[in-house]
Amino acid sequence: MAKGPLVLPAFLVLAVAAMAVLLLVALSTRLSPLPYSQVQPEGYKLRRWWFLILSVGLVAIFAVTLPWFPYPPLRAAAHATKNGTLYVKVTAQQYAFTMPSVLPLDRRIVFEVTSLDVNHGFGIYDPRGQIVAQVQAMPDYVNHLPVTFTRAGRYTVRCLEYCGIGHASMQGGFDVR
Amino acid sequence: MTMARRVLWTYLLTGIAVFTLMMLLGIAMRAEQARWVAFGPQIFYAMLTLHGAGMITSVALCGMGGLWYLMRREGELSAGAALVAYALVVLGVVAVLLSVFPGGFAAGWTFLYPLPFVGATWPSWATGTFLTGIMLVSLGWTAWCFQMLGFTLTRYGGWAGASGWNLVFKRDADPHETPPPQSIAAFVVAVDGILTGMAGMTIGVALIAHWLNPSVLVDPLWAKNVTFFFGHAFANLTIYMALGWVYVGMARYTGREYHTTKILAIAWWATLVFVAIAYFHHLYMDFVQYRPLQYVGEIASYLSAIPATAVSVWGSMLLVYRSRMRWTLGSIFLFTGLVGWVVGGIGALLDASIPLNFDLHNTLWVPAHFHTYLLGGVFLFALGLIYMQLEERSGRCSPPLLRWIVGLTTFGGMTVFLLGFYVAGANGVPRRYAVEPAPGPLTASWATVGALLLLLGLIVVLIEAIRLARLPAEDPA
Repeated sequence: MAKGPLVLPAFLVLAVAAMAVLLLVALSTRLSPLPYSQVQPEGYKLRRWWFLILSVGLVAIFAVTLPWFPYPPLRAAAHATKNGTLYVKVTAQQYAFTMPSVLPLDRRIVFEVTSLDVNHGFGIYDPRGQIVAQVQAMPDYVNHLPVTFTRAGRYTVRCLEYCGIGHASMQGGFDVR
Repeated sequence: MTMARRVLWTYLLTGIAVFTLMMLLGIAMRAEQARWVAFGPQIFYAMLTLHGAGMITSVALCGMGGLWYLMRREGELSAGAALVAYALVVLGVVAVLLSVFPGGFAAGWTFLYPLPFVGATWPSWATGTFLTGIMLVSLGWTAWCFQMLGFTLTRYGGWAGASGWNLVFKRDADPHETPPPQSIAAFVVAVDGILTGMAGMTIGVALIAHWLNPSVLVDPLWAKNVTFFFGHAFANLTIYMALGWVYVGMARYTGREYHTTKILAIAWWATLVFVAIAYFHHLYMDFVQYRPLQYVGEIASYLSAIPATAVSVWGSMLLVYRSRMRWTLGSIFLFTGLVGWVVGGIGALLDASIPLNFDLHNTLWVPAHFHTYLLGGVFLFALGLIYMQLEERSGRCSPPLLRWIVGLTTFGGMTVFLLGFYVAGANGVPRRYAVEPAPGPLTASWATVGALLLLLGLIVVLIEAIRLARLPAEDPA
């Protein structure tokens, strides 16, 4: 599922909350001043909580989101024939992609992505125009990108790594059915 | 004017001049993406290359000058050495400028190997000149870092003193020999900066070797790691340099004292580590990268928020909270710079989450967050330093109406400009596209309007700065 559109509201909520806190601190200078010796101990107590919440929260987010990391199992190729995964070769070269024009719906696909010249990005956009997967296409290396398409239609592929002055025109696509 | 001030203003004015030129290029590029003008891809990508390299160097120059000046007040520091470092950086900027205009070099400021050499639409000399320019900037930066490191080690009794180790672990540490917060910052920036500069020169040497002899091959994954280590840490350190005078400025405007504590020293050690290893997040989409490094990248990026918010931002908020804060343009810029740093940091944290990065990597979300903390953070910190100097020198500050005008145009314009990036990035619009897919052109139009409003505000800021600079000095020293 494309997560991009969900990120913006999350960002705006967090950004507005942070700005509100800083604004309140700025506005507090309109109140009668307090000696720093009074402000500091209270502030340090609160900071302990902030430190604890942030540290535990961030480590927890890392641990909890591990299953959503897009990386293929390290020994993916060994299981290729067992689980019916379809391996698809993708080659990027200034300024085009070479890949099949039709791919199956609801089947696990592993794109084997490489480049013949410079670094490129292999970014897959679904029929609604949302990014659903991406990986870099690098010369001398093959990146394995696992994807299962659950929506039929025309997918657009765009280059997502600057690759020269034709970068914006480097695009391709395939049908999923 | 004292020699120390001469050095400060040489760095600051050069930094601001380069920044202004790069900002004009930035507006031109957003106008092209909005389809208001048409330069064509060759010129667009040449401008993009120059804009990236120039912007980072401009804020670095401001940071170097500002932090050097603060350290000079702590003890004897050679102005000549600082000017040699400055000259090397400026020579590098000139070389980069020549490589792009008239050279036409357009491989991006990240110049990922082997792009500078494959499918090039520019002459070979432009590639060599660009790489030489990057090497000179790295050399000047490294020289400055060595001066900072040498100074802090000499002034505060070696590594244990300069790093704050004695303060944390030695019970009988002399409080008079404890470095102030800005010196701890200078020490950490110098150590990370030397590593960064060496990485910049390493990749520069490797690519120049390939340029001279194409049979010398470079591993693309190694090159990507070294290039991003250099680029990420160099850009990141511009923020940490600026914190040096944020500490000093906030204390001065609030009339409160900000000391080095054990927590502050430990936080800066953590920063030293995180700055060096967070760059792995630039390679999240390189699935062949050794897998544990991807996890290290996410954890380091996440945890870098702890020293930043729990120490530097928190400490600044405590200084301001219910204080007798003098709200002048100088203090407003310093405080709002914190806002830009925090908000940009939130955007960066989201992008540093690997499952989200899968959708955001190399979209406009990336320039969204780094413009927030470079333009809305470091640049405002630099303006804060400039105004702090001008206000102190003249003993005057700007009238309230002018502060409101500057606030509305600068921050209003900046908000609209940045939202253009965020909205487009969340919708998957790729970065570095001369011609963007929808909704890119629409959001680029908002961004261009916002940037023009911001430019208007900055013209007012410039005129006011000149007015303050022309006032007679309150203190002739």
